[in-house]
Amino acid sequence: MNEHLEGTREDRLAARRELLDAEKEHMRQGDELARRRGELPWIPVEKEYVFDTDDGRKTLADLFDGRSQLLVYHFMFGFGYRVDEENPGCTGCSFVADHFDAAIPHLNGHDVTLVAESLAPLDELRPYKQRMGWRFPWVSSGGSDFKYDYGAAFTEEQQRNGAEYNLRHVDQPPWPQREGMSAFALREETVQHTYSTYDRGVERFMGTYGFLDIAPLGRNEEGPADWWQRHDEYETPEEATS
Amino acid sequence: MPEHRIAAQEEWQTARDELLAEEKEHTRRRDELARRRRELPWVPLEKDYELETADGAKSLSDLFEGHSQLLIYHFMFGPSYEAGCPTCSSMVDGVDGLLPHLHARDVAMLLVSRAPLEKLQAYKRRMGWSIPWASSANSDFNFDFGASFHEEQMREVMPPEDELPPIAAHNADATGTDLVSYISEMFGATVLKLQDGVVYKTYATTGRGVEFLMGYYGILDRTPRGRDEGDAFQTWIRRHDEYGTS
Repeated sequence: MNEHLEGTREDRLAARRELLDAEKEHMRQGDELARRRGELPWIPVEKEYVFDTDDGRKTLADLFDGRSQLLVYHFMFGFGYRVDEENPGCTGCSFVADHFDAAIPHLNGHDVTLVAESLAPLDELRPYKQRMGWRFPWVSSGGSDFKYDYGAAFTEEQQRNGAEYNLRHVDQPPWPQREGMSAFALREETVQHTYSTYDRGVERFMGTYGFLDIAPLGRNEEGPADWWQRHDEYETPEEATS
Repeated sequence: MPEHRIAAQEEWQTARDELLAEEKEHTRRRDELARRRRELPWVPLEKDYELETADGAKSLSDLFEGHSQLLIYHFMFGPSYEAGCPTCSSMVDGVDGLLPHLHARDVAMLLVSRAPLEKLQAYKRRMGWSIPWASSANSDFNFDFGASFHEEQMREVMPPEDELPPIAAHNADATGTDLVSYISEMFGATVLKLQDGVVYKTYATTGRGVEFLMGYYGILDRTPRGRDEGDAFQTWIRRHDEYGTS
């Protein structure tokens, strides 16, 4: 990294100003994309979905919990993602979910409810939630088509004959499940689907990457997922050197 | 909720497809900006600073906690504040849960404010945070890094109150201080690298550049109503233990 060491204050200011202009432009493009998301047409949800929750069985409309906007994180856990002692829940989804609890008071205060859903039954989700120390609502969608209908799980038939994933047709989706986030609005007791995002679209819920993107070594990864661990599984510096 | 265009699946799909292409482009531009940040020249710090911490006075190089990168958030908590800035607090709410992941990528994180350490520690206990927080009360650190201004100078340069965004008076009130004292502190992030015993400044940002700390904005940007705040930006934000009380 020696090429970094030559900068004078003047060099650095000039380079930083040029980059700042590019950062501001990117910020404004982000605002424009958010505005365009707000203009997407909505689709009424016509099917009835029922979830198992800590407070009993609930419909999608019930999950809004008194607010007008609902975000559902499609958490990979359960069918097709083997749950055992070695592999108790998707590591990447756990990384994403580490960002939820801190945001929830602010989201709830701004008329947004955030929940996670998984195919696994509640009695498998609860011990893992406890181990991770999470508080966000986590419901089981195992008794409904919800995860399949919103493009985050694929039946064996779809894995053979094709399905839509991330707004594209995939001939043979090689995965039983993928991560994703879906947004809904409740208007006059009708639920409307407003937005879904998958793949790198969920990076915006992984604030850690925003921090790493300004660090001198950056993301410092060969590929996403090559360093991810559950937050209680990382080696501490002392362990690594001992 | 106001009226909104309702569509069949096919129409939504077309509109969503077009937007997705631009979202992907935006993600790739973000990667490109991150690459360019890493190419910025580094500047060796010419001065050492001693900050007060829970473990006594420490120099900057002590604060890396065994990592080679240190991300400092300049948290607005001036000597006359009775409580920390609510907007800064909403950012720090998100940090504790990320520390294991940041440490795994060789990044330490630290808050620095100019209020005395005891005030910072009491507020940290109230908020339930574990992130390290140092006081620069006895140092030029905040002034040198553009995170504090002398009040006399601020009085001369500050715009009339009615030209400041509503959040300024709102947060001055919420921190229990006057407007001049409130805005004499500044928020921002500074990134340092420790190499061969020398501390370098690699990056600094303020203004909307700190939105990377505001994870709730990235989430709200994908909800039906978006940030929904207009010119009175951030005035809806409360400390996490204050929602529903006013």
